[in-house]
Amino acid sequence: MKLLIAEDELSLQQSMVTYLEKDGNVCECASNYEEAIYKVSLYDYDVIILDINLITGSGLDVLKQLKKEKKKAGIIIISANNSLSDKLEGLDLGADDYITKPFHLAELNSRIKAVLRRGKFGGDESITFNEIRIDTRAKSAYIADKPMTLTRKEYDLLLFFVTNKNRVLSKEIIAEHLWGDNSDLADNFDFIYVHINNLRKKLTFEGAKYIKTAYGSGYKFTEE
Amino acid sequence: MLKQASKTFFWASLLLMVISTFALYFYVSWLLKQEVEEELFSAEARIESALMAGKHPSSLAPIIEVVEVDHPQATFTKDTVIYDPSQNEMELFRELSTYKNINSKFYKISVRVLVVESNQILWAIILSYIVIIFLVFIFQFYLNKSYNKKLWYPFFHNLEQMKTFSLLSKKPIQFLDSEILEFSELNKEITLLTVKVKDDYENLKQYTEDVSHELQTPLAIIQAKIENIINDQTVTEVQFNQLTSIQKDIQRLTQLNKRLTLLTKLENQQFTHKENIDITAIIDQIIANFSEISSIALSLQKTNNIVVSMDPYLAEILCTNIISNAIKYNTNSEPITIVANEMAITVSNFGLKPIANPQHLFTRFYRETKEIKSTGLGLAIVKKICDLYGYHVSYKHVNDHHCFSIDFVTAPASNE
Repeated sequence: MKLLIAEDELSLQQSMVTYLEKDGNVCECASNYEEAIYKVSLYDYDVIILDINLITGSGLDVLKQLKKEKKKAGIIIISANNSLSDKLEGLDLGADDYITKPFHLAELNSRIKAVLRRGKFGGDESITFNEIRIDTRAKSAYIADKPMTLTRKEYDLLLFFVTNKNRVLSKEIIAEHLWGDNSDLADNFDFIYVHINNLRKKLTFEGAKYIKTAYGSGYKFTEE
Repeated sequence: MLKQASKTFFWASLLLMVISTFALYFYVSWLLKQEVEEELFSAEARIESALMAGKHPSSLAPIIEVVEVDHPQATFTKDTVIYDPSQNEMELFRELSTYKNINSKFYKISVRVLVVESNQILWAIILSYIVIIFLVFIFQFYLNKSYNKKLWYPFFHNLEQMKTFSLLSKKPIQFLDSEILEFSELNKEITLLTVKVKDDYENLKQYTEDVSHELQTPLAIIQAKIENIINDQTVTEVQFNQLTSIQKDIQRLTQLNKRLTLLTKLENQQFTHKENIDITAIIDQIIANFSEISSIALSLQKTNNIVVSMDPYLAEILCTNIISNAIKYNTNSEPITIVANEMAITVSNFGLKPIANPQHLFTRFYRETKEIKSTGLGLAIVKKICDLYGYHVSYKHVNDHHCFSIDFVTAPASNE
């Protein structure tokens, strides 16, 4: 996949590049408005990650330019402003998703993959990992072509694991992905264990031992 | 104010009317008495000259009586009631009696005038005076009122403008010009003031946005870097635990930042959107969400659905905050009950001790205990949202339970 990261904060930009390149993505960067406009008009990208507050201009203007040139790239807006009106404006202008700073890179990664999956980029709406196949349209998972019975949270969890395979995910990241702002409610993460253990049991039952514990309290979805 | 002015005018005029009527009455009656007396004296003089000329005027009782007397007495005037044969009744007369020595004979000359007539004149004058002054008064009253209304129109118009003034509207306040110097000066000052208030408000808003932006970007950088470190495969378990602990703190900071921004937005009254929201439906949804995270049993007992008109985003925050507060401070894993009755919801959770300082409960950053990690803003936000819509939120400690109630009946605006 070819990605463009338009972000004026260089350390954040580089962190995103490091994380996203692990999946074999090609990441290009734009550090200001002019560079972003220049790159989007010259090249085609699969997904463009666009900060609204670019140092020399607004990311929303880059978005308008993209739509004017009828570029097919998927667009994810990053903003430090979590106001609803900004979000709606971005989505109205044709952005595919909206994410507020600070965000987890794993979360960004799964949003990028979700944008790519949506049919209009010619992507397949199913993800496969060895014998596991996830149909994101029907929101169902199959293991060796046998349908799995998963709860909604278990399905979300599996999808999150598969899109962030080979990466260590802390309980905090998982909880935030599944429950958003409410994840701070429970002081211990017992409820996460319950969901992860259930999913793990269901996978192990079919011989798919991919959910590994990392560093004692984190998780990693991997073949190794 | 015009009413007040009219009232003052009314009472002043009434007082003036009464006093002047009395004054007129006494003056005219005095005048009439003088007139009568003058008439009596002139009649008496005429009779005297007639007697001197040797003519004996015949008595014409009760108007004129001439009698010869032996001894003269002092002249006197008096009011007297005597029988008037022409009217066939007792009448009030004014009488002048003089004793004169004419041609060495003493005469008593009594002249009388019927007072009734002068009394009638007096009353006629007073009555016509009252009628005239009353008409003048009515006319003045309405003239004054309509004139005042016209004169004060710009003032009242501008007052209405000021009442509808909102920091949120982009339109500047439009004042009606007045020829009256004081009014136009007032307009000028108020325009200046509103412009300044608007500027300050914009600055504050900008500041909040800036702070929020400036804080969130470094947080995003820290968080992204931590994730990359974790995936570096060179960290130890101890380091991993420390890094995830930092992630937790970042999340707390993020929450704090979000809530502070929300509080500022609430204070700036930036939520103007309203929809009909079913509060009980929102609570049902929250219970479903929370039951996945928390092992504490949540139940909603409703007698009816509560539908209110408010911002849907705020409605969700309001319900989430009050329920998550109950979960956080619940002890012994006792079940939490939410009761929806008429237009109020009550959330109760188990807690042996009542809250020590209930008056601070809704103050930002007030925490009853340090044991529970929280932003300390949840209930402050609840209070602010309630204030925005005029709802009433209260706390009670009943049967070892903390009970928070929100009454969705809109109280009349308190800033009247």
